[in-house]
Amino acid sequence: MLTPFANEPILELRRGPIRAQLADALAALDRELPLDVAVEIGDGARVGDQLLSTDPGAPDRVVARAAATGGDEVQAAVAQACLGFARWRETSQEERSAALIAAAAWMRERRLELTALEVRECAKPWVEADADVCEAIDFLEYYARAGLELGRGRELLQVPGERNELRYVPRGVVAVISPWNFPLAIPCGMTSAALVTGNAVVLKPAEQSPAMASRLVAALRAGGVPPSVLGLLPGEGEVGAALVRHPDVAAIAFTGSLPVGKEIVRAAAETADGQRHFKQVIAELGGKNCVIVDADADLDEAVPGIVGSAFAFAGQKCSAASRVLVHEAITDQLLRRLAGAARVLVVGQADELGTDVPPVIERAAQERVNRYADVAARDGTIVATAESPAGAGWFCPATVTTDLPDGSPVLEDEIFGPLLAVQRVRDVEQACEIVDGLSFALTGGLFTRDPATVRRVSATTPVGNLYVNRGITGAMVARQPFGGNRLSGTGMKAGGPDYLLQFVAQRAVTENTMRHGLVV
Amino acid sequence: MSTPAQTSTISEDAVEQEVRRVGAELWQAFPSSSRHPVKALDARAMEMASGDRELRTALFRFVDVVPACRSLDDLARHLTGFLDEVPETSPPLSAAIKISHTKAGRAALGAAAAGGVRHLAHRFIVGETPNAALSTLRGLWDQGVASSVDLLGEATVTEAEADRYAARCSEAIQQLAPATAHWPPRAVLESDSSGPLPRANVCVKISALTPLLKPDAPARGQRDAAGRLRPLLVQAQRSGVHLHIDMESLDSREAVLELVLELLDEQEFRDGPSAGLVLQAYLRDSPDQAAQVIDWARATRRSPPLTVRLVKGAYWDHELVEARQHGWPVPVFEEKHDSDRNFEALTRTLLAARPAVRVAVASHNLRSVAHAIAVNRVSGGEDRDLELQVLRGLGDELQHALAARGFRVRTYCPVGDLVAGMAYLVRRLLENTSNESFLSEQARGTPLDQLLAAP
Repeated sequence: MLTPFANEPILELRRGPIRAQLADALAALDRELPLDVAVEIGDGARVGDQLLSTDPGAPDRVVARAAATGGDEVQAAVAQACLGFARWRETSQEERSAALIAAAAWMRERRLELTALEVRECAKPWVEADADVCEAIDFLEYYARAGLELGRGRELLQVPGERNELRYVPRGVVAVISPWNFPLAIPCGMTSAALVTGNAVVLKPAEQSPAMASRLVAALRAGGVPPSVLGLLPGEGEVGAALVRHPDVAAIAFTGSLPVGKEIVRAAAETADGQRHFKQVIAELGGKNCVIVDADADLDEAVPGIVGSAFAFAGQKCSAASRVLVHEAITDQLLRRLAGAARVLVVGQADELGTDVPPVIERAAQERVNRYADVAARDGTIVATAESPAGAGWFCPATVTTDLPDGSPVLEDEIFGPLLAVQRVRDVEQACEIVDGLSFALTGGLFTRDPATVRRVSATTPVGNLYVNRGITGAMVARQPFGGNRLSGTGMKAGGPDYLLQFVAQRAVTENTMRHGLVV
Repeated sequence: MSTPAQTSTISEDAVEQEVRRVGAELWQAFPSSSRHPVKALDARAMEMASGDRELRTALFRFVDVVPACRSLDDLARHLTGFLDEVPETSPPLSAAIKISHTKAGRAALGAAAAGGVRHLAHRFIVGETPNAALSTLRGLWDQGVASSVDLLGEATVTEAEADRYAARCSEAIQQLAPATAHWPPRAVLESDSSGPLPRANVCVKISALTPLLKPDAPARGQRDAAGRLRPLLVQAQRSGVHLHIDMESLDSREAVLELVLELLDEQEFRDGPSAGLVLQAYLRDSPDQAAQVIDWARATRRSPPLTVRLVKGAYWDHELVEARQHGWPVPVFEEKHDSDRNFEALTRTLLAARPAVRVAVASHNLRSVAHAIAVNRVSGGEDRDLELQVLRGLGDELQHALAARGFRVRTYCPVGDLVAGMAYLVRRLLENTSNESFLSEQARGTPLDQLLAAP
């Protein structure tokens, strides 16, 4: 029997002795770098160095050398997964859930090691990296339990003379295409959900974070997932595209940008000759997340909540705040305080605990964020900037801007960087109309102390996750099931009670229990 | 080591006997509430609120939002919004909700509610500025009560706000020092065995002195706060004012403790100003902090000695919730009697550490206060080497009794905007209306024997 689910406790970094462990973990990791990441298909592992993953804070530091998937490796990986699937689907639900629990234990034993690797490979600051490792453990523990529950099937109406059963059965081979911003938790969530329900997985991680993905594969295989059931294909976008097109892939679980998501949905809709199923697409895409601040908000809470949501991890979360819609009665006051709070942010290296805004993931990201900052400076007003340090990392200054004209790309595009736009609104109703006019609907925030306003906004907002009087990032497994509506996503919420349903098909079995007038 | 070796030799029976004697004596000296009809009314209101958790929450949320309301209508809307969420409202509250259905009714309700908050604020806040507070502080002094001024304000999230708070502290020192110099002598309040005690006493919150205090990276906030605390220490030393560094939640404890001990050990501050810090007995590991502070005090031999204010702690709910949300071990005692017991153990530890430290016991719990007095006496200490502290508006009766019996009592006096300040004070109010609090037991008429029983 498993204990009831509880979230893995994050490190209590407010205590000095716990902080002191981090430097040792990082030093130990640095001695091992660069790591080798292989293309893993079944029992085979092909190393290579076509793909280099580097530290965004020090691009000369190679964190991992990865083999890039090529030739017929996509084909081979899917074929191997088909073989693995035939076997894995026959294993008991208990065994599959136990593999996840064992993988969680493997990660728990290596918490600091994994966290340090994430600090290096993705420049994710300690607090955020630790939270990501914990979330990965949470997904394993949560889906292990959810799998057991689903494995019991659902009750159907029973009448004399027949026996009715509803079973959930796996779909087949699932292609998991994962991002670098939660480089352990997100691939872990998608992969473990597929595995626990009896599917086989071919994982194509982001090219920026192959080492973190290889740790995930190591954890799951150590936990008891057979090599043929879980393959790893490091590589660039075309590897993912080939997986999506493959006729033997039954489902695609993707987290990433809207343009790639649209492409996946389009490609998955094609049925190749001989393909005998429709492909299921589970996509978590972008956001353009707004925080509404009403006139009665407690700014002592709103300011830190907004600053944390906009600038932590340099705004590179799909849940991050990128717009603030503030009641005109307190706009000046909020702007003044937000600007002051943004100015004291530390843009710096991820491995320093005091850093608020680490470098962004790569040069292209830095260029993109700077382009939007230029637009903001040209079309609006920059009210605060926290400057980048000198040095080779992909740093972007943290910026707060306002007075942008309607339709500005800064107000509409997902920038995925430390740039926050503040906008004066007449009232909460106008703010809600603005939110309602967006194509994205992932997270949203509301600061108010009026229970009626909370009821009104939560009843009508299109967003998938609304946060009231707190920051809008940091969804916890089982507490804030996470996922967007509209063009922010297609499926059920990750870390919630319905997520696994996307990875299964249903089968109803009805048996006649009457034999010549006798109930047998 | 700083374990209270010498207190282990005192007789527990003698202490308990003395607790009962002192407790009864203080009890006798409590003012009769019939002579203070307004206070009696407030006490009844507090009792009513403390009896009903939902109602208490509604009132808390209301006081909290009052400064952000833009009109009487807005006030009334918020008040009824909160009261609506109380499952069973009493007839007067239902009436209040009903009259809010019209605009005129809302204006009347808003005005009444605003008046209520102001009335409450006057009970707790002694003035909008230190100067405005002077007549109240002088009034206390004339009753034999010393004071400590606490500047209420918004959270510090910018450098400008940190500068403004530091300027307010500086202004407080500047206004209080010359004004208190003209007060008549009060021997009990002005000296102990270690020497003179400043009349002017100002509390400082480190979290308000910097926007950079982060629990996981204390160093930068410490440096930034030190930059603003140093000039205040210099000024306090020149003006002969006591600076007391308050303690807040556990998130900043390490930073605050380290910062204060480091600064006060700097050559410049070895001989002053008179300064102090706070020990929170509800924290399970508070004995470790007590040991750390006492070891520091013995090693530095600072003069005047560091004052340690022993409190139960005002962030109990916050600490519990934060720990539960994160899956951390709960840092506070979850049972009130464990906290009370630790308070008594720390009282002994601190008293035994004199004269390396000065001891101020801050509690409204008659047992805790009588226990401190008793342990001090039984172990051969003098009354003047123990300070007792209470909160303005909550410990008024105890303050009166302590002063009447000739003890040195200091009242912690919030200063600031009446409306906004009240919002910052609700946390303290909340704690003190909780069911288990001593004050509510006292208000319910629990017998003295029970109030004085060992925890």
